[in-house]
Amino acid sequence: MGPRNLIVAVVLVAALVSGIFVATQLQKRPVEPRTALVLPAPTPLPEFELVDQFGDAVTPATFRGQWSLVFFGFTHCPDICPLTLQVLASARDSLRAAGYQPLPRIVLVSVDPERDTPELMGRYVNHFGDGNLGLTGELVELTRLTSALGIYFQKQPGDAENYAVDHSAAVLLIDPRGNFHALFSGPHVAEDYVYDLPIIMEAE
Amino acid sequence: MRAIGLLASIVLLSACGEAPRPDLVATDVVVNRPLPGAAMSAAYLTLRNNSARTINITRVTSNAYALVQIHETTVEDGIARMRPLQKLEIPAGGAITLERGGKHLMLMRATPPTDTVSLQFYDGDRLLLTVESAYADAQLR
Repeated sequence: MGPRNLIVAVVLVAALVSGIFVATQLQKRPVEPRTALVLPAPTPLPEFELVDQFGDAVTPATFRGQWSLVFFGFTHCPDICPLTLQVLASARDSLRAAGYQPLPRIVLVSVDPERDTPELMGRYVNHFGDGNLGLTGELVELTRLTSALGIYFQKQPGDAENYAVDHSAAVLLIDPRGNFHALFSGPHVAEDYVYDLPIIMEAE
Repeated sequence: MRAIGLLASIVLLSACGEAPRPDLVATDVVVNRPLPGAAMSAAYLTLRNNSARTINITRVTSNAYALVQIHETTVEDGIARMRPLQKLEIPAGGAITLERGGKHLMLMRATPPTDTVSLQFYDGDRLLLTVESAYADAQLR
């Protein structure tokens, strides 16, 4: 090998090595969620006690050990509440179909505890798949949870049977340590959850 | 003269043969079955006004629900709200679409279940349209 060939060989090897280096760096580049806001410092849930659809107590400890997608709504809401729950269920179905683990649990917290009994919550959330939780309970306990999380709800005028409840449209992601970890503000689209959830959960 | 009379009657006959175009037409009708445990649900559709004047739907009734209200969901500043509307205003030659996450018919106080749901649309006391629909099959999931 003459000196000229040696120079060419060295240049080629250098190019190859730097190419590999750049490719590795690109792969290491963190992928960001496209819609979710991940909290810089995940915050623990406040002390509260509600009940699930089985009548069992639900406290911050209930949220440990599993990812949860939490939505605030009510069963006398025929439009946006089923729409949001359907988006979450559909996202979870897509992740399941792709073999993804772990799958987050879907939790509906009633902002209408006057009408939403545990039984009603159970029938409602079960429609959107197995393993979902429907929470209801005392108004004061609900308010403890919502005020700490920045969730708004306000019952509107109407008769005893026919009234609406305004409520935050956001979906909260609670991590397996029981911390409020990320926020999906909406509008809620299944593909956004399918894209963002693995990124957020794998970053843990 | 006789020929003209014959011609006139043919023209008249053919005019009678044409079905009159209704003023109000519904398409894309989706009636959701109430979710388990719920006595209420929602319906969505597009209403087209073929007439030369504005149509205001002020009342909707149903065979399967004792109360039907026109509602609108809005999400502003992160807050979801549902409000009753006094009317659906459909401009002459225009259309209005009721869809999920927006305007919808809120169906309340379900009466014993029926296979098909009828919806009657009134402008004041005037019945303008009756829509018959089966429940949507792939409801919600």
